[in-house]
Amino acid sequence: MDITESQLNTSTVLALSGRLDGLASPVLDQKVDVLLASGVRSVVFDCSSLGYVSSAGLRSFLTAAKKLKAAGGRSSFAALTPAVHEVFELSGFLTVLAIYPTAAAAANG
Amino acid sequence: MSPPLQLTLANDLAEIPRLAQAVETYCEPFEPSMKDILSLQLALEELVTNVINHGYADGHPHDFLVTLSGGAGSIRAVITDDAPAYDPLARPEVDTTLPLEERAIGGLGVHLVKKLMDVSHYERRDGKNILTIERRLNAPDRPV
Repeated sequence: MDITESQLNTSTVLALSGRLDGLASPVLDQKVDVLLASGVRSVVFDCSSLGYVSSAGLRSFLTAAKKLKAAGGRSSFAALTPAVHEVFELSGFLTVLAIYPTAAAAANG
Repeated sequence: MSPPLQLTLANDLAEIPRLAQAVETYCEPFEPSMKDILSLQLALEELVTNVINHGYADGHPHDFLVTLSGGAGSIRAVITDDAPAYDPLARPEVDTTLPLEERAIGGLGVHLVKKLMDVSHYERRDGKNILTIERRLNAPDRPV
């Protein structure tokens, strides 16, 4: 999985591409921790090029959402691919995470 | 018809991408949908991760087997390990309706396996854990 970081308004966008599996998820955890430590409080996870997520990846997303919320910040998840949307749906994540059709909408949300 | 494929995996999470690639390559001749492949990869990652992370408590390297077989419009995978007896499918069902703060991730992997597979079955035989999963390919009546 590749992570590309960019800035959109006041949000930091992490564009995830490839597969968020059990091997890749610790990399994302570390990235989020670094952002939090540097004072970032709004993170958009752009999933438009993310083709696969396992429960290890869901754990990373959930942990990131909880940490940002606890820090007074916010997380959002944008442009889910059909495969990732299905896993979110089956896991009940569509109702606990903030989901947006695009990264731009998420950054403005 | 492709003969079954037997893979020997080490108890190391670095095996997950190799397993995913093997699933894709093995399934291809059976003309599955992309969703079929992703579902089988996901179910196998979840179950294999359980074996890797929790199966062996001694900290030593271990090998276990994954066998893929296909036919009659479905793909079957069997995971066989010699770790202590453990049935991951017997975990209590997770509550996927709790709010963010109360959400726990434990059990979600097995929940996904049960949702995405048509068959998920555990047995303990000859000192081995044997997990069998199966998914019908291109099934038109699938709810998700």
